[in-house]
Amino acid sequence: MLKELTLENSSAHAKPKKFHISHKKKLTSQGKMGFLFSVPALIYMMIFVGYPTLSNFILSIKNVNVFNFSRPEAQDIIGIQNYVELFTDANSVMVRAILNTLTFTVASIFFQFLIGFALALLFSKKFHGSSFFRGATMISWLLPVTVAGLLFKFIFASSGGIANQLLMSLHIINAPIDWLLNGPSAMVAIVVANIWIGIPFNMMLLLTGLTTVPADIYESAKIDGANKIQTLFQITIPVIKPAIMSVLTLGFVYTFKVFDLVWVMTKGGPINATELASTYAYKLSFEQFEFSKGAASANILFLILFIVGMFYIKLINAEEEVM
Amino acid sequence: MKKERRENSISFFFGLIIFLVLLFPLYWMVVTALKTQVEIFEVPTPLWPRNLTFEAFIGQFNSSSSTLQGFKNSFIIATSATAISTALSIPASYGLARFRFGSKKLLILFFLMMQMLPATLILTPLYIMFSKLGLLNSYLAPIIADATLGIPFSIIILRTYFLSIPKELDEAAAIDGCSPFTSFFKVMLPIAKPGVIVAAVFSFVYAWGDLIYGITFITDPNKRPITSNIYNYVQQYQTLWNATMAFGIVAIFPIVLIFIFMQRYIVSGLTNGAVKA
Repeated sequence: MLKELTLENSSAHAKPKKFHISHKKKLTSQGKMGFLFSVPALIYMMIFVGYPTLSNFILSIKNVNVFNFSRPEAQDIIGIQNYVELFTDANSVMVRAILNTLTFTVASIFFQFLIGFALALLFSKKFHGSSFFRGATMISWLLPVTVAGLLFKFIFASSGGIANQLLMSLHIINAPIDWLLNGPSAMVAIVVANIWIGIPFNMMLLLTGLTTVPADIYESAKIDGANKIQTLFQITIPVIKPAIMSVLTLGFVYTFKVFDLVWVMTKGGPINATELASTYAYKLSFEQFEFSKGAASANILFLILFIVGMFYIKLINAEEEVM
Repeated sequence: MKKERRENSISFFFGLIIFLVLLFPLYWMVVTALKTQVEIFEVPTPLWPRNLTFEAFIGQFNSSSSTLQGFKNSFIIATSATAISTALSIPASYGLARFRFGSKKLLILFFLMMQMLPATLILTPLYIMFSKLGLLNSYLAPIIADATLGIPFSIIILRTYFLSIPKELDEAAAIDGCSPFTSFFKVMLPIAKPGVIVAAVFSFVYAWGDLIYGITFITDPNKRPITSNIYNYVQQYQTLWNATMAFGIVAIFPIVLIFIFMQRYIVSGLTNGAVKA
């Protein structure tokens, strides 16, 4: 700003300078207007998200539980003790929950992305029924996750579940599996359900990315004798790399904080095998009434999301200069 | 030409298979709701109902069932949350798209970050806040919380809409003597209508699908949204799958309607909101 002004002053022409200043003035009053328009939403989010976030942090360095919940005079600030205990206590499953969340997220994203990408490649072609098929597959992303979770709970039910019946008729398994009653298979079940929910999101974003690839690049690749696999890896993927990065980072953030699906299907069980950071935080606060510990574990989840979120924001910032 | 046609039918074939596989769970939900309990646990279970029965559905509309009350509660909660979210995000996105000011970038970042927060982060403080305000067990608690899901998304979506409207329109309105407010209502809003619909649709879908705020802030069975009703129902009647699936179909009904009639808007919302941000 200062540099700009000096430059303007040193300029020989007085007239443009004057114009410049009045223009600036108009801009600032306009700017106030723009800010004014955003104020209601800002205040709302500050009260109901910003303030709770701050107060959650304060809660996490206190010792609030069911015994002193309604007596503020009996609550003390104990610093990072909750955080330390979450990682060192013998009966804390924080580390387990983080590792489970990572497994859940990485497995979900890996398959969602691969399937979503394959579908995007298919549906980027125009063929009979392509827009109908593409549109219809979107529904799984919109359904209330609670209902989707129950649906998959039924699909993976030990008796009456179609998953067992299908696998047995294909002779992949000989006897029904108690999917949701064994740790590893329960993780498989929630990942499968989450993949089903997330495929449309991956497909749509990658499809949009694919429409940005200029058609003549493909033409010239064809003329140069590139085969389909070469074209995919040397042209398509590099060109839509921004869309790919967006899908992966956003997918990570959305999957890492999944709560409803797991709460409905397994409630974190059996014996913490599918306990995620989000379900663990909920249990600490609203089942064990260890409010401060719950707050601390939610903050750990938040910190991880924040780091990945910042990475995403940096990505889109680099991509779009309009901001 | 021949090769093209063959490729076309191969693509159609794959498209059809994907359609069938991905929509099978929904088919299974409907079929199960129309079966008897006996058929459901038969081995192998039939792939369509042999003794078609609507009993499970009729049970949902029974006076003793909580389904319709839950539906009504969800409707009140989701429409109110949508109203708050849309009313606040329209002006905010307009301000963030149309004007230049120092804190603009920071504000956009703020709303972007808000979209990524886990619900568990603010759940306990909101619970404490609502309990102090006496809002627990009232519709207002989930309404307020659900609107915080819709606002950031709506602002990001709508901002891209306002950005796509040519600036000359604003200027022309200003020359004709419109204040920023009148030009906002008379010129901008009508043009941005598709964006407003997208924002409202997503706010509604988010609020309708919420489980965590519903089960935490409302314990009164008469005021619970339908998602927490169905959750509680399953806890109680573990293996009554036909009734559970019928309940689920009622619970997804408005979303399926929205999906059928608003598909175009949903697709544009999904892609604009996430990629362009």
